[in-house]
Amino acid sequence: MTIRIVDYESTTAAADNIEQLRIAIKNQKSGLRKNNFSFSDLNTWIGRVPAIDDIDLGEWQSRNNAMAAYGLQQGTILEQINQLKERFGSSRIGVIMGSSTSSIDRTETAYRHLDDDGKLTKEFQQATVHNPHGPGLFIAHQTGVTGPTITINTACSSSAKVFATGQRWLNSHSVDAVLVGGVDTLCYSVLHGFDSLQLLSKDPCKPFDNDRDGINLGEASGYAILMRSEDCETDTGIELTGYGESSDAHHMSHPHPDGLGAQNAIQNALSMAQLSPRDIDYINLHGTSSQANDSIEGKLIGSLFPKTTQCSSTKAWMAHTLGAAGITEALIAIDAARTDLIPGSMNLNNLDQELDFSIQAKNMTRSMTHVMSNSFGFGGNNCCLVFSKVDG
Amino acid sequence: MSSGQMRCSVKAVGAWGQNYTSWVELTELLSKGSTAENTSTSPKPEIIPANERRRAPLPVKLAVESSWQATQTAGIDPKELACVFVSGLGDTQLTDYMCKTLASENMQLSPTKFHNSVHNAAAGYWTISTGCMKAANSVAGFNESVSLALFEAFCQCIEENAPVLIAFYDSPVSEILKPLLKNDQSFSAAIIIEPSTSDDDNNILEMSVTSVSSDWPKLQLEANLHESYEKNPSARILSVLKLLADNSKDSISLPLSAETSIQLTLNNANF
Repeated sequence: MTIRIVDYESTTAAADNIEQLRIAIKNQKSGLRKNNFSFSDLNTWIGRVPAIDDIDLGEWQSRNNAMAAYGLQQGTILEQINQLKERFGSSRIGVIMGSSTSSIDRTETAYRHLDDDGKLTKEFQQATVHNPHGPGLFIAHQTGVTGPTITINTACSSSAKVFATGQRWLNSHSVDAVLVGGVDTLCYSVLHGFDSLQLLSKDPCKPFDNDRDGINLGEASGYAILMRSEDCETDTGIELTGYGESSDAHHMSHPHPDGLGAQNAIQNALSMAQLSPRDIDYINLHGTSSQANDSIEGKLIGSLFPKTTQCSSTKAWMAHTLGAAGITEALIAIDAARTDLIPGSMNLNNLDQELDFSIQAKNMTRSMTHVMSNSFGFGGNNCCLVFSKVDG
Repeated sequence: MSSGQMRCSVKAVGAWGQNYTSWVELTELLSKGSTAENTSTSPKPEIIPANERRRAPLPVKLAVESSWQATQTAGIDPKELACVFVSGLGDTQLTDYMCKTLASENMQLSPTKFHNSVHNAAAGYWTISTGCMKAANSVAGFNESVSLALFEAFCQCIEENAPVLIAFYDSPVSEILKPLLKNDQSFSAAIIIEPSTSDDDNNILEMSVTSVSSDWPKLQLEANLHESYEKNPSARILSVLKLLADNSKDSISLPLSAETSIQLTLNNANF
C-alpha cells in the first residue's frame, strides 16, 4: 500500500507559507534575528514568528496554539480538510500532531500571574491547554475533525514520527485521511533549558562549519495531509516511501558517539523504501549546529552515502524548531524534489575539517527522485523519512 | 463504516500503583476487591542503575517498573521490543519546578531537570537502561490516552509484524495544576502484545475502530482503584486489565475520539 502527500504547508520565521519559503530559500534570506523575546536577556539568535504575538484564542489561548492556528490559515490545508470531511465524514479523518513544548509557554505565563493564594487565575484555568496533548486537542477543535487525534512528544523527532504513525493508521483502514502536523514555539523553558546545557550560539548558527559554536532556537508549524494513493483525487506526486525509527540507548541529551541509533533509523528507512544510499538525491540533515550532532551526523553521512548524494542543513533559515523541525524539514525536502532546487547549507563557510560529504552553502539546481530527512531528539529518539517523486 | 479487525495476543502484564506492586497483586484487587498494603510512594526499578535512578523522576520510575515486570514475566529481552509510552498528564512536578524557576528572578534551570522534562523521558530511561535500540514512541491523548495508545500500538504491532511494549503511567499532579488535572494517585501498567496469527493463541485481543461515540465502561472497583479510574488518565487501562483478570470472553467499548470508539474482544483468556 502506498501513501501519498496530498497537500502541505509550512510556517516559520523564514516565511509565512510554503510559497514564500520557496522564495526565501531561493534568495537565501534568513528569518533569524537577535533574541528579543521579552524578559529574556540571553545572548543568542532566534527564529521568531511575530505575526502570532497578537492572536487571541480565548479559552484555547497559548503561544503554541496561536502558532498552530496561524499555520493552519496558510495555503489550502483547511480547505482540503473540509473537502475530505465532506467526502469521508469527519470521524474518518485522523489528526497526528508532534510537539516538544505543547503549550508549556501558557503554563509559564500562568505561573507569572498566580493570585495572592498562589492559585491559577480564571483566564489560565485551561485544562485542555495545560497538558501534553494540547496541540492535538486544539487542532481537532479548529478543524472539526472527530476521528482519532493523538500528540507525539518525542522531543525533536516528534513531527517526523507523525508520518510513520500516519502511514500505519492509513494502512489499518481505520481512517481515510490523516492530517499530520508539528508545532512548537519559543518559550522560557526551551530558551533557558538549552542555555543550561550551554548549547546556544550567540551568533546565527553555522551547521557543519568548522567554527560552529551552538544552536539557535525557533518556532514553527507545519502540516501535511496523507492518504492511501488509491483514494487520492489530486495529490503532490510525492509518496512516503520509507521511514525508520530507532533509539540510541545511550544518553538523555547526548547523541550516541558513533551515531548507531541514527544509522539504524537511516538503514530502516532505506530498506522500507527498497532503496540503497546511492539512490538518495538529497538529504535534509538534522544539522543543529551543535558540536556533537554535526560531528556525529556528518561522519555517519560521509560513511554511508556517496558524493552524488547532496546534503544540507536548513536551520540557518528558521533555527531549530524542536518538535516542529521534523515536519518543517521533511516539507523542505519534498519541496526541493518538486521544484528541482536543493537548498544550500546557509552560513557554511568552511566545512568541519573532520567531515567529508557533499554539502555546500550555495543552492543547486538538480532533478531529484528520492529525498531524505533526518530528525534526532533528546532521549536518543531518531526518525528518518524517505519521500519519492512518482509523477507530476 | 468500520475498519478491518486487528488481532494481537497479550503476552504479559506489569503493574505498580497506589495499593499494589505487581500484576498478581493488582489481579487480586480486581477480582476479589481485597486491599493490598503498599506504603511506598515510589517504585525502585532495579533495571535503572542506582545513580541514574536517584535522578529519575517519579513518572519515569512508574513506567520503567511496570515495563520491566512485564518483560520479566514474558521472558522477552527488552532489546527486542518496540515501545509506546503514554502519559495523559505528563510530569507536572517538573513542569511546576520549571515554571516556578522561570517566574523567578534568576531563571536558572538545572540541565538534568531540563532534559528530564521531555515527555519521552520514560522512553529514554527505558531504552538507555535496557540497551533497547528499537523504535520508541511517547504519546499523549488527554482523557483518551489509553485507547489512543492501544490503537497506535496495535497498528504498529501488525504493520511492523513485531511485538510492542505499551506502558501507561500518570503520577500525582502538582498543587497549582491540581484544580484542573485532578489526579492525585500514582498508577502504572505495562502490557506486551504480539501479532496473533493463530486462533489457538492465548489472550487474543481483537480490536476494531467504529464511527460511534462511547463512554468509558463502568467498572466495579475497590475504592482506591475507583478513584484512579476516575481521575488518572492512564488508569483507564483498568477496563482492559479487568477483562484479563476475569479471564472472561467478553467485549468492551472504549472512547477513542469525539465520534469514534474501539471495540475490544478477548478470546482464549488464560491469565
